[in-house]
Amino acid sequence: MTTITAQTTQVYQVFIKATPEAVWDAITKPEFTERYFFGARIENTPERHRAVGPDGSVWGDEPVYEFDPPRRLVQGWRSLYDPELAQEDESRVTWEIASQEGGYCLLTVIHDRLEGAPKTAENVSGTGWMMVLSGLKTLLETGRPLAD
Amino acid sequence: MTDDDRVFKALADPTRRFLLDRLFQRDGRTLTELESELAMTRFGVMKHLRVLEDAGLVVTRREGREKHHFLNPVPIRLIHDRWIDKYTEPRVSALAELKTTLEEESA
Repeated sequence: MTTITAQTTQVYQVFIKATPEAVWDAITKPEFTERYFFGARIENTPERHRAVGPDGSVWGDEPVYEFDPPRRLVQGWRSLYDPELAQEDESRVTWEIASQEGGYCLLTVIHDRLEGAPKTAENVSGTGWMMVLSGLKTLLETGRPLAD
Repeated sequence: MTDDDRVFKALADPTRRFLLDRLFQRDGRTLTELESELAMTRFGVMKHLRVLEDAGLVVTRREGREKHHFLNPVPIRLIHDRWIDKYTEPRVSALAELKTTLEEESA
Protein backbone atom coordinates (compact mmCIF):
# COMPACT_ATOMS: atom_id res chain seq x y z
CA MET A 1 0.00 0.00 0.00
CA THR A 2 1.21 3.47 -0.81
CA THR A 3 1.28 5.88 2.08
CA ILE A 4 1.60 9.58 1.53
CA THR A 5 3.27 11.47 4.33
CA ALA A 6 4.24 15.08 4.90
CA GLN A 7 5.20 16.92 1.77
CA THR A 8 6.53 13.93 -0.15
CA THR A 9 3.70 14.57 -2.59
CA GLN A 10 2.69 18.13 -3.41
CA VAL A 11 -0.20 19.04 -5.67
CA TYR A 12 -0.82 22.44 -7.22
CA GLN A 13 -3.62 23.40 -9.55
CA VAL A 14 -4.63 26.50 -11.47
CA PHE A 15 -7.18 27.44 -14.13
CA ILE A 16 -5.64 29.36 -17.02
CA LYS A 17 -7.55 31.04 -19.82
CA ALA A 18 -5.45 29.71 -22.69
CA THR A 19 -5.34 26.78 -25.12
CA PRO A 20 -3.60 23.54 -24.08
CA GLU A 21 -1.04 24.21 -26.83
CA ALA A 22 -0.20 27.63 -25.37
CA VAL A 23 0.23 26.13 -21.89
CA TRP A 24 2.39 23.35 -23.34
CA ASP A 25 4.66 25.86 -25.09
CA ALA A 26 4.90 27.90 -21.90
CA ILE A 27 6.21 24.94 -19.90
CA THR A 28 8.54 23.47 -22.52
CA LYS A 29 10.19 26.47 -24.17
CA PRO A 30 12.91 28.63 -22.58
CA GLU A 31 11.70 31.93 -24.06
CA PHE A 32 8.51 31.49 -22.00
CA THR A 33 9.90 29.97 -18.81
CA GLU A 34 12.44 32.76 -18.28
CA ARG A 35 9.52 35.14 -17.83
CA TYR A 36 7.86 33.31 -14.94
CA PHE A 37 10.21 30.57 -13.58
CA PHE A 38 12.56 32.69 -11.43
CA GLY A 39 14.27 33.78 -14.64
CA ALA A 40 15.32 30.23 -15.58
CA ARG A 41 15.51 29.17 -19.22
CA ILE A 42 13.97 25.70 -19.22
CA GLU A 43 13.81 23.38 -22.18
CA ASN A 44 11.85 20.14 -22.06
CA THR A 45 12.34 17.73 -24.95
CA PRO A 46 11.20 14.08 -25.26
CA GLU A 47 14.61 13.10 -23.84
CA ARG A 48 15.73 15.74 -21.40
CA HIS A 49 14.75 18.48 -18.98
CA ARG A 50 17.36 21.25 -18.91
CA ALA A 51 17.19 24.42 -16.85
CA VAL A 52 19.68 27.28 -16.87
CA GLY A 53 19.47 30.04 -14.28
CA PRO A 54 19.64 33.76 -15.11
CA ASP A 55 23.36 33.73 -14.19
CA GLY A 56 24.05 30.95 -16.70
CA SER A 57 24.52 28.17 -14.11
CA VAL A 58 22.80 24.80 -14.52
CA TRP A 59 19.65 24.60 -12.36
CA GLY A 60 18.37 21.27 -13.64
CA ASP A 61 19.45 18.47 -15.98
CA GLU A 62 17.24 15.42 -15.63
CA PRO A 63 15.49 12.82 -17.78
CA VAL A 64 12.05 13.38 -19.25
CA TYR A 65 9.96 10.26 -18.66
CA GLU A 66 6.76 11.16 -20.52
CA PHE A 67 6.34 13.72 -23.26
CA ASP A 68 2.78 13.84 -24.61
CA PRO A 69 1.99 17.29 -26.06
CA PRO A 70 -0.17 19.13 -25.18
CA ARG A 71 -1.36 16.98 -22.29
CA ARG A 72 1.28 15.44 -20.08
CA LEU A 73 4.92 15.93 -19.18
CA VAL A 74 6.79 13.89 -16.58
CA GLN A 75 10.31 14.96 -15.67
CA GLY A 76 12.94 14.24 -13.07
CA TRP A 77 13.81 17.01 -10.62
CA ARG A 78 16.98 17.77 -8.76
CA SER A 79 17.60 21.23 -7.30
CA LEU A 80 21.02 21.91 -8.83
CA TYR A 81 20.61 25.65 -8.08
CA ASP A 82 21.63 24.94 -4.47
CA PRO A 83 24.70 22.81 -3.66
CA GLU A 84 23.09 21.34 -0.54
CA LEU A 85 19.81 20.45 -2.25
CA ALA A 86 21.69 19.08 -5.28
CA GLN A 87 23.02 16.23 -3.09
CA GLU A 88 19.51 14.87 -2.54
CA ASP A 89 17.81 12.09 -4.51
CA GLU A 90 15.97 12.82 -7.71
CA SER A 91 12.25 13.52 -7.33
CA ARG A 92 9.54 13.72 -9.99
CA VAL A 93 7.40 16.51 -11.45
CA THR A 94 4.26 15.74 -13.47
CA TRP A 95 2.49 18.43 -15.49
CA GLU A 96 -1.10 17.67 -16.56
CA ILE A 97 -3.03 19.96 -18.88
CA ALA A 98 -6.79 19.36 -19.13
CA SER A 99 -8.93 21.37 -21.53
CA GLN A 100 -12.02 22.92 -19.89
CA GLU A 101 -15.14 24.68 -21.14
CA GLY A 102 -14.96 28.35 -22.03
CA GLY A 103 -11.41 28.38 -23.37
CA TYR A 104 -9.84 27.42 -20.04
CA CYS A 105 -7.23 24.83 -19.14
CA LEU A 106 -6.79 23.20 -15.79
CA LEU A 107 -3.08 22.84 -15.11
CA THR A 108 -2.08 20.40 -12.38
CA VAL A 109 1.49 20.09 -11.13
CA ILE A 110 2.35 17.12 -8.95
CA HIS A 111 5.77 17.10 -7.34
CA ASP A 112 6.25 13.68 -5.74
CA ARG A 113 8.78 10.97 -4.90
CA LEU A 114 10.29 13.50 -2.52
CA GLU A 115 11.06 10.87 0.15
CA GLY A 116 14.80 11.15 -0.52
CA ALA A 117 14.77 14.92 -0.89
CA PRO A 118 13.31 16.49 2.27
CA LYS A 119 15.13 19.81 1.86
CA THR A 120 14.00 20.10 -1.74
CA ALA A 121 10.45 19.34 -0.58
CA GLU A 122 10.70 22.19 1.89
CA ASN A 123 12.30 24.52 -0.65
CA VAL A 124 9.71 24.10 -3.42
CA SER A 125 6.61 23.98 -1.22
CA GLY A 126 4.46 26.98 -0.54
CA THR A 127 5.69 30.04 -2.40
CA GLY A 128 8.02 28.11 -4.73
CA TRP A 129 5.52 26.37 -7.00
CA MET A 130 2.85 28.94 -6.14
CA MET A 131 4.92 31.80 -7.59
CA VAL A 132 5.64 29.74 -10.71
CA LEU A 133 1.99 28.90 -11.32
CA SER A 134 0.58 32.35 -10.59
CA GLY A 135 3.31 33.85 -12.79
CA LEU A 136 2.53 31.40 -15.58
CA LYS A 137 -1.18 32.23 -15.37
CA THR A 138 -0.49 35.97 -15.47
CA LEU A 139 1.90 35.62 -18.40
CA LEU A 140 -0.52 33.55 -20.49
CA GLU A 141 -3.57 35.67 -19.69
CA THR A 142 -2.02 39.13 -19.94
CA GLY A 143 1.14 38.56 -21.98
CA ARG A 144 3.13 40.14 -19.18
CA PRO A 145 5.20 38.64 -16.35
CA LEU A 146 3.91 38.94 -12.77
CA ALA A 147 6.80 41.09 -11.60
CA ASP A 148 9.51 42.87 -13.53
CA MET B 1 -20.11 33.27 -8.86
CA THR B 2 -16.58 34.21 -9.83
CA ASP B 3 -13.47 32.26 -8.79
CA ASP B 4 -12.68 34.90 -6.15
CA ASP B 5 -16.20 34.60 -4.71
CA ARG B 6 -15.77 30.85 -4.32
CA VAL B 7 -12.45 31.26 -2.52
CA PHE B 8 -13.76 33.94 -0.16
CA LYS B 9 -16.89 31.89 0.54
CA ALA B 10 -14.83 28.78 1.20
CA LEU B 11 -12.55 30.66 3.60
CA ALA B 12 -15.47 32.28 5.41
CA ASP B 13 -16.15 29.17 7.50
CA PRO B 14 -14.12 28.08 10.56
CA THR B 15 -14.51 24.35 9.87
CA ARG B 16 -13.17 24.78 6.36
CA ARG B 17 -10.26 26.86 7.61
CA PHE B 18 -9.57 24.12 10.16
CA LEU B 19 -9.53 21.52 7.37
CA LEU B 20 -7.06 23.65 5.37
CA ASP B 21 -4.84 24.01 8.43
CA ARG B 22 -4.87 20.23 8.94
CA LEU B 23 -3.82 19.71 5.32
CA PHE B 24 -1.17 22.40 5.66
CA GLN B 25 0.32 20.41 8.54
CA ARG B 26 0.17 17.15 6.66
CA ASP B 27 -1.02 16.87 3.10
CA GLY B 28 -2.67 13.95 1.35
CA ARG B 29 -5.11 12.94 4.09
CA THR B 30 -8.11 10.72 3.47
CA LEU B 31 -11.68 11.62 4.41
CA THR B 32 -11.52 9.15 7.30
CA GLU B 33 -8.42 10.86 8.73
CA LEU B 34 -9.92 14.34 8.39
CA GLU B 35 -13.24 13.22 9.83
CA SER B 36 -11.56 11.78 12.94
CA GLU B 37 -10.45 15.27 14.01
CA LEU B 38 -13.85 16.90 13.77
CA ALA B 39 -16.97 16.47 15.87
CA MET B 40 -19.05 16.23 12.73
CA THR B 41 -20.71 13.56 10.61
CA ARG B 42 -18.88 12.10 7.61
CA PHE B 43 -21.49 13.72 5.42
CA GLY B 44 -20.86 17.12 6.99
CA VAL B 45 -17.11 16.89 6.43
CA MET B 46 -17.73 15.77 2.83
CA LYS B 47 -19.89 18.83 2.24
CA HIS B 48 -17.18 21.16 3.51
CA LEU B 49 -14.52 19.41 1.43
CA ARG B 50 -16.77 19.77 -1.60
CA VAL B 51 -16.91 23.57 -1.12
CA LEU B 52 -13.12 23.66 -0.75
CA GLU B 53 -12.74 21.57 -3.92
CA ASP B 54 -15.11 23.83 -5.87
CA ALA B 55 -12.98 26.80 -4.83
CA GLY B 56 -9.85 24.95 -5.98
CA LEU B 57 -8.37 25.05 -2.48
CA VAL B 58 -8.39 21.28 -2.16
CA VAL B 59 -7.40 18.88 -4.93
CA THR B 60 -8.12 15.17 -4.64
CA ARG B 61 -6.07 12.35 -6.14
CA ARG B 62 -7.00 8.70 -6.16
CA GLU B 63 -4.43 6.11 -5.25
CA GLY B 64 -5.88 2.64 -5.52
CA ARG B 65 -9.03 2.62 -3.42
CA GLU B 66 -8.09 5.68 -1.42
CA LYS B 67 -8.85 9.29 -2.15
CA HIS B 68 -6.26 11.72 -0.84
CA HIS B 69 -6.85 15.42 -0.22
CA PHE B 70 -4.19 17.98 -1.01
CA LEU B 71 -4.07 21.64 -0.10
CA ASN B 72 -3.75 23.76 -3.24
CA PRO B 73 -2.45 27.17 -2.15
CA VAL B 74 -2.51 28.75 -5.64
CA PRO B 75 -5.99 30.39 -5.37
CA ILE B 76 -4.88 32.09 -2.14
CA ARG B 77 -1.78 33.38 -3.93
CA LEU B 78 -4.00 34.74 -6.71
CA ILE B 79 -6.22 36.51 -4.16
CA HIS B 80 -3.06 37.90 -2.59
CA ASP B 81 -1.80 39.16 -5.98
CA ARG B 82 -5.18 40.64 -6.84
CA TRP B 83 -6.19 42.20 -3.50
CA ILE B 84 -3.38 42.43 -0.98
CA ASP B 85 -0.63 43.74 -3.25
CA LYS B 86 -2.94 46.37 -4.67
CA TYR B 87 -3.75 47.93 -1.31
CA THR B 88 -0.48 47.45 0.55
CA GLU B 89 2.02 48.52 -2.10
CA PRO B 90 1.14 52.24 -2.39
CA ARG B 91 1.33 52.56 1.41
CA VAL B 92 4.61 50.74 1.64
CA SER B 93 6.10 52.91 -1.09
CA ALA B 94 4.66 56.06 0.55
CA LEU B 95 6.42 55.08 3.78
CA ALA B 96 9.63 54.35 1.91
CA GLU B 97 9.42 57.79 0.31
CA LEU B 98 8.78 59.45 3.67
CA LYS B 99 11.83 57.71 5.10
CA THR B 100 13.98 58.95 2.20
CA THR B 101 12.67 62.49 2.56
CA LEU B 102 13.24 62.58 6.32
CA GLU B 103 16.70 61.10 6.03
CA GLU B 104 17.63 63.62 3.35
CA GLU B 105 16.42 66.47 5.54
CA SER B 106 18.41 65.32 8.54
CA ALA B 107 21.54 64.83 6.43
